[in-house]
Amino acid sequence: MQIAETFAVAAPIERVWQFITDPTAVAPCVPGCQSYEVLGPKTYKATVKIALGPIKTTFNVIVDLTAEQPPTFLASTARGEEGGKASTLTAQNELRLAADGPSATTVSYTSEVALVGRLGKFGLGIMKKKAKTIGEEFAVAFRARVEAAEANRGGTTSEVLSTDVPQAGA
Amino acid sequence: MSDAIPISLTINGERRQAFVQPWHTLLHVLRDVLHLTGTKRGCNQGICGACSVMVDGEVVRGCLTIAANCEDCAVTTIEGLARGTALSPVQQAFLEVGAVQCGYCMPGMIVAATALLKRTPKPSEDQIREGLSGNLCRCSGYVKVIRAVQRASEWSDA
Amino acid sequence: MKFYRPTSLKQALKVLAGDEDARCLAGGATLVAMMNANLIAPSALVSLAAVKGLAGIAKRKNGTVAIGAMTRHQAVADSDAFDRGQAMVKEAASHIGHPAIRNMGTIGGSISHADPAADYPTALVAVDATVTVESAAGKREIEASRFFTGYLETALAPGEIVVAVSIPATPSGAASAYEKYARVQGDFATVAAAAVVALERGVCSFARIAVGGCAPTPVRVAAAEAKLVGSKLEPAAVAAAAAAIAAACDPIDDFRGSSAYRLAILPTIVARAVATARQRAEQRPAEQRP
Repeated sequence: MQIAETFAVAAPIERVWQFITDPTAVAPCVPGCQSYEVLGPKTYKATVKIALGPIKTTFNVIVDLTAEQPPTFLASTARGEEGGKASTLTAQNELRLAADGPSATTVSYTSEVALVGRLGKFGLGIMKKKAKTIGEEFAVAFRARVEAAEANRGGTTSEVLSTDVPQAGA
Repeated sequence: MSDAIPISLTINGERRQAFVQPWHTLLHVLRDVLHLTGTKRGCNQGICGACSVMVDGEVVRGCLTIAANCEDCAVTTIEGLARGTALSPVQQAFLEVGAVQCGYCMPGMIVAATALLKRTPKPSEDQIREGLSGNLCRCSGYVKVIRAVQRASEWSDA
Repeated sequence: MKFYRPTSLKQALKVLAGDEDARCLAGGATLVAMMNANLIAPSALVSLAAVKGLAGIAKRKNGTVAIGAMTRHQAVADSDAFDRGQAMVKEAASHIGHPAIRNMGTIGGSISHADPAADYPTALVAVDATVTVESAAGKREIEASRFFTGYLETALAPGEIVVAVSIPATPSGAASAYEKYARVQGDFATVAAAAVVALERGVCSFARIAVGGCAPTPVRVAAAEAKLVGSKLEPAAVAAAAAAIAAACDPIDDFRGSSAYRLAILPTIVARAVATARQRAEQRPAEQRP
């Protein structure tokens, strides 16, 4: 299934790029993200809790950055699985930034997601809506974070942000 | 690991006992514990009807019935329809009309048809279709199934 | 996993209060299917089978019909307690699944699952039903339109279960219809519409419409109903009402229908529900076919 989202951030493109390529900034914006760990310069893993009515589960996800053209393009793949491999998820993601003047940026991403296993059988339509909701919540959280940093102009990423998501094994 | 729960119920007129786990379905107990394998497992989701049995006089899905909840229930499966070697009228009709192909859906189909005729002894074709709407057959196209139920309903005591 | 078979509601609520991963076992039509599909694994099953007083249909003097949570779909489908405006609730029940499912499934279980493509949620929202819920801490009532909060989500707090659903009396002369489009008979709806209308001398005096299968919850739009009241339920008015409802919808794409398809057929399903309800309202009760 394809998920696509476009949203505007009131911050210069370089600032948005800085945030979007920083797992310590991105992970706390993902709804349900319980923890994350940077495994390498282009790899990190995260655990994400997802609930769909009475169905509750946690996915262990590994994200690999596969291509980048700063500050406009970022490609990544994500592989996730539920405990016991009850379902597996793979996603090919492409993210594009476009400057909308000196202090605004348009962020757009597309994600090609495949879900197999017990949740894939359940009803892809619902999962697609869930993924869309997650994407929308991410956009709201990410925009707020970047715009807050921009309002506190002069602060660097680590000064402005509190890593409110535990970082495993730093 | 939960403690097994003892249950005691009547199956095809006979008192039977079993130890079950909370998540065991009646279908599992019938087939895998009591070896009454006439009732079939199809989708295990309550859609196909292959697991249809009667509990306390009503047709239900064995795959969606929790066995531990069946204490003192009266269950009738396909094995309980004949009297000795004498087939029930519904069974006889299905044979005579030639409604059985691979046979997999038939235990559920015949139980559902039996329940239908108990509730509506002289059903119209629409009522037959409605009454059997929860039993899927991949072989027959339902034509002879419906004819079999009509034949059985013509005999006095289904 | 533990198994409980309490003989009183109090006992059942006590277990549920103490274990947030325990689940009620009503008919099992949804719960056991989800367990079989490995989607949920409750810590305990609390069977309501032996709890007295949870099943039954009672008509009150003021015309309200109270349905106990453990009442099976077939019992609702067979009941003659409903007035003509309420009757689409029993029509909806008769559309649920198949005979075996209707012998097992319960109204409490069905609405607790809150699938917007299921039959009861749409009908109950259209008819302004009230859901009575209870926990170890007490009882409260929730309007149907506020009971369903999202896809598979309800306003039930942890430890709370549905104990009854009440259908208020409808205005004198009102009649109703439940129109369901499903690709396979007995499946969940692709799109469904429940309508209650009353007419006075050919002019609509009362209208309620809810649509299922088109959003995370049943959709009811007061502005759409307002477009019908005062009209003669002519096609243009009904189409305008359907458009107002469609604007509030956000259907999913799945094997039962794409989002675009659901929106495309919504006006027709709404029109059919309104037309059938109107036809029934215009018949005198003695002439009505059962």
